[in-house]
Amino acid sequence: MKTISIDHLTRVEGNGGITATIDGKTVTEVKFNVFEGPRLIERLTVGRTPEEDVSLAPRICAICSVSHKNAVLRAMEDALDVNVSKKIIYSRELMHMGEMIESHSLHTFLLALPDFLGYPNAIAMAGDFEFEAKIGLEMKNYGNHIMKVYNGRWIHGENAVIGGFGQLPTKEDLTWIKSRALQFMPFVNKTVALFCGLDYPDIPEDDTLYVCCEPGNNEYGFWGDEILLSTGEKYSKYDYPKVTNEYTVSHSFCKRSRYNGRPFSVGALARVNNLGDRLEGQAGEMYRKYFNDRWKKNPLFHAAAQALEIMYCFERIPQLVDLILADREEPALIPYTTKEGTGTGLVEAPRGTLIHHYAIKNGLVDHSDIITPTAMNAEEIERYCHIAAQKLLDEGKEDEIRARMDIVVRAFDPCISCSAHSVEIERVPETAWKDRLLELSAKKAPFFVGVGTEDRSDDRAGLELAARLKEMGIADVYTEKDIDSIRSIQEQRPIIFLDAVNMGESPGKITLIPVDHVLRNVNNSHKFTPFIVGALNGAQIKNSYVLGIQPGTTDFGTEMSSSVKEAVQKVVSALTN
Amino acid sequence: MRIVKLKQDRLNSFLEAVSTDSELWGPVKKGADKHRFKIVDNPAEFDLDYTRTILPPKKIFLPPRFNMFKAMPTAYEEETMDPTKKILFGVHPCDIHGILIMDQFYTQTYNDPYYIRSRENTIILGHSCWPDEHCLCHSTGTDVANEGYDLFFTALNDEYLVWIGSSKGDDLVRIVPELFNEDLSDRDIQNYIRWREDRSKAFKAEINFKAMPDFMELKYRDAVWENLSHACLACGSCSNVCPTCTCYNVNDKPRLSENASDIARCWDACTLESYSEVAGGENFRESRSERLKLYYTHKLQAFISKYGKPACVGCGRCAATCPVGINVKTVAGALDGEEVDAFWSRYATEVTK
Amino acid sequence: MNNGKPKIGIYELTGCAGDALLIVDCEMELLDIFTAADIQSFAMAKSDNIDGELDVALVEGSVTTEKEISELKDIRERAKIVVAFGNCAAHGGIQARFDDKEWQENLKKVYGNQKFTHTKPVRSKPIDEFVKVDFYLPGCPVSKEQFLHFLTRMLKGNPPEHYPTPVCVTCKYNENDCLLNNGKLCLGPLTADGCGSVCPNHNIPCFGCWGPVENANAIAELHLLKEKGFSVEEIKKRMANFAGTKLADAIKQL
Repeated sequence: MKTISIDHLTRVEGNGGITATIDGKTVTEVKFNVFEGPRLIERLTVGRTPEEDVSLAPRICAICSVSHKNAVLRAMEDALDVNVSKKIIYSRELMHMGEMIESHSLHTFLLALPDFLGYPNAIAMAGDFEFEAKIGLEMKNYGNHIMKVYNGRWIHGENAVIGGFGQLPTKEDLTWIKSRALQFMPFVNKTVALFCGLDYPDIPEDDTLYVCCEPGNNEYGFWGDEILLSTGEKYSKYDYPKVTNEYTVSHSFCKRSRYNGRPFSVGALARVNNLGDRLEGQAGEMYRKYFNDRWKKNPLFHAAAQALEIMYCFERIPQLVDLILADREEPALIPYTTKEGTGTGLVEAPRGTLIHHYAIKNGLVDHSDIITPTAMNAEEIERYCHIAAQKLLDEGKEDEIRARMDIVVRAFDPCISCSAHSVEIERVPETAWKDRLLELSAKKAPFFVGVGTEDRSDDRAGLELAARLKEMGIADVYTEKDIDSIRSIQEQRPIIFLDAVNMGESPGKITLIPVDHVLRNVNNSHKFTPFIVGALNGAQIKNSYVLGIQPGTTDFGTEMSSSVKEAVQKVVSALTN
Repeated sequence: MRIVKLKQDRLNSFLEAVSTDSELWGPVKKGADKHRFKIVDNPAEFDLDYTRTILPPKKIFLPPRFNMFKAMPTAYEEETMDPTKKILFGVHPCDIHGILIMDQFYTQTYNDPYYIRSRENTIILGHSCWPDEHCLCHSTGTDVANEGYDLFFTALNDEYLVWIGSSKGDDLVRIVPELFNEDLSDRDIQNYIRWREDRSKAFKAEINFKAMPDFMELKYRDAVWENLSHACLACGSCSNVCPTCTCYNVNDKPRLSENASDIARCWDACTLESYSEVAGGENFRESRSERLKLYYTHKLQAFISKYGKPACVGCGRCAATCPVGINVKTVAGALDGEEVDAFWSRYATEVTK
Repeated sequence: MNNGKPKIGIYELTGCAGDALLIVDCEMELLDIFTAADIQSFAMAKSDNIDGELDVALVEGSVTTEKEISELKDIRERAKIVVAFGNCAAHGGIQARFDDKEWQENLKKVYGNQKFTHTKPVRSKPIDEFVKVDFYLPGCPVSKEQFLHFLTRMLKGNPPEHYPTPVCVTCKYNENDCLLNNGKLCLGPLTADGCGSVCPNHNIPCFGCWGPVENANAIAELHLLKEKGFSVEEIKKRMANFAGTKLADAIKQL
């Protein structure tokens, strides 16, 4: 057994880790573990007043505290029918830009750039790249300043409340913010040139589904009332569960999301992919100059997308200041009365779509649901780590897996305190499939599903195995023809697909792989992928496995090779005992 | 003392003319109905229709927090204590009396260089006022100021009677003599006397301060202190807003990147638990009742015994500030045998839903 | 000591990472901090972390898993001084509000019957329930001024300053009109000072995020707010939000 471990994911905000399991030539499993314990924030808000919740809910995350604030405010004002003035909306947008600039400059210059330049941290990098470190810190400081001006302090400020603000900034504060934004522009240009022009490695790349808010009016922006997918599909904010489909996993306190069984990406790269053609001004020019197909499938381009968004913010801030100052007379706060109702707030946090949903009853929060961007990205982080690890293993660069996965995780700019530090790689013995299969069967009797073709020699293995299991008297054995019955399985029991799977091993090698891996790795999937995608929901996929037997030949013929026959017998024996 | 007259609509011209090389401070509205002394660019920002500011003028001479000096291993360096010249306009008689008590404490009893420097650079321009329900200056004898100001403005009809209280005040008037009118008539004096009489009648609260030292002595072990302490939130606000509270604390603030410390000073309050804590962790007044007793001993007994007047100028700030109603008026009433004990005892009873 | 520089480790248990982030947010002082101290471990800011002997360990977050209990005990064994850094470490954070029964019920409501294989969750508690804590620096998040002052004193070998006064003291320094007198549910008198009275400065009542100040007169505050029309239940809920495990029972018994 072999273990490669990154015990604490560093330079990310929060507490999590990654474990990779290797069986022979296959990376059978990658788990993004969130060790950050459960805080039950949603439950803490229940029974509290809406105004209390506005202070409690943002405590989920320090670096996204303003995004959480705007999300909870949008949800509460939706539930309580509070219609704030344009000036308040512009003011909240300006405050939001403070967080975008702060978070993006921290991630690009101080957390990700040391990776690309080969330094363990920004302080070590600062010796050789003083300018970059300095600009990063100054932009970050500026972003924090905006949040402080608007929210009282940059982390967990309380000035933004239902109906507006406790107190609005002075004209002097606002004109300073504007003039400073204009002063920053030459450095913003350099930032975009640096991060959009970086030679990002192929880590590798894969087709990705991108999700973000639809700001409306064909504009770029950080909030909206609809969810936009890179497929072009749109959902009302109230239908968010149709997109997120949240479920729990046993190795993390962070819930997971999939759309139609498919993991998706949120964040700056998702926004630029979905909305980039709406960018105007210099940000629009830079988008047209740098954007290409690699942005659609390589998460490292998150840093490039963040640089574009930094530019978007610096161009938008002077406009916002003018709009706010034009409306000086509007009050800071409008009164409201608590009533019954439900509301949903949808915003783009720096690292992706953030959803807050509440039901108010008898003046108190009766139900709350908060879905954070890192929770949505968790499946993607696992998927990309898996693809990266498998590719390096295929290339015989097993010793590079650890460092690569670390960089992949960091690319997603995860904020693990969202819910949720370490990369661990484990090599298991040849017989690992057996232990795992018995372990799974011991908890709850699995459903077995035979997959294959009768007349293509070793591809019969799955069907043959299914038939043998049925003979043994195992109750729930299906074949792929029973797709409807499989779809309707409601019980939380493992589903084990029996199939011949090409893993580049010697014929007859048995591997038990989570179905996820098969879905991720196009090379191994053959006809299996279309069969599964769309048939199972996220929770079912998470509980499904492929018991794969390496075929020798899949030429036409009805006779299986001897090593595959032996493998079928091994499985039968294992389950007989 | 010379008295001149000034048309009220010429006040701002005067203030602008005399403040060209000084900071101009005065009462400015804070929130809906509160006030504070603040630097302004334009005297039109002042709101003279005010009763009391949240903090007294002491904050201008000794800010709540400031660094006194920088200490190094073998030397020290004075922080450039703001030598800016200031004009403080709109000070009511009670606050002028408060400044006089501060002067006595910080320039005579103890020489505090930070106070002295700031005080010497500040011109005090007093302003007349009208009492509200918390004003006690009639009882403390501080409703009129005969000293402690450079100029004092009493508003009568559309004019000010301006008392010139010092040579500095006289110099100010001489900057723009054309704004003033020297012809004070008998009628003006009569108007002023009648205004004084009306104002005296307007006071709603009175306290027999002369009796207080004896009451304090008699009630030193009385249950009243325990009752008060049930309600006291120990927030220190009564001291912070009091024009005669002078206590402060000193902290070392080492600098990160050099071998030096800033020696910082901040207002302290005897009603706070940490006030009476000494080295080794011993605390002489752990209970709230002991601390309240110390506060009121100072205000109503010790100061009177020593200086012949209470350490209370009747400004009413404690009454306007304390959320649970512990103030010089209610405490004096309790000492005087008023049935107010139940007022505080309610804070000690069981809570019912 | 390494080259005379104190060895410091910064650790995050469960919380929002706001206190560690606040150190990263000392943009203009960050280089001075890394120059004056030997930062051995700081997962948020650097990759080359070493888990060895320490002079000072700053621990952020509350204990919410069995893994964190063993990590914390390991930190305590390695560090001469352990500092509870932020409200979660000092008091347990907002997540420490549930008692054992409520915690079990709510865990089930969020995660169903999910059995966790990576580590076992436990009810959130402050770190001094498991190890000896030498100093406390509360706040949600800690204040930059208090942190820098604290760190500098530690680096220069001075004991940290103690902050025993309520928010009201700074609130009055800032010349705010008392929000209690305006009928607001303000927790200033019960809450430890350090935030600069930032909420009342903006007309927002104190939410109590520094946690309770020592020997606060909670019963008087409760009566006062009740007289102002708030329900006892609402007041107690508000008091409990940041009071953590230590005062949870005391508040219920008020």
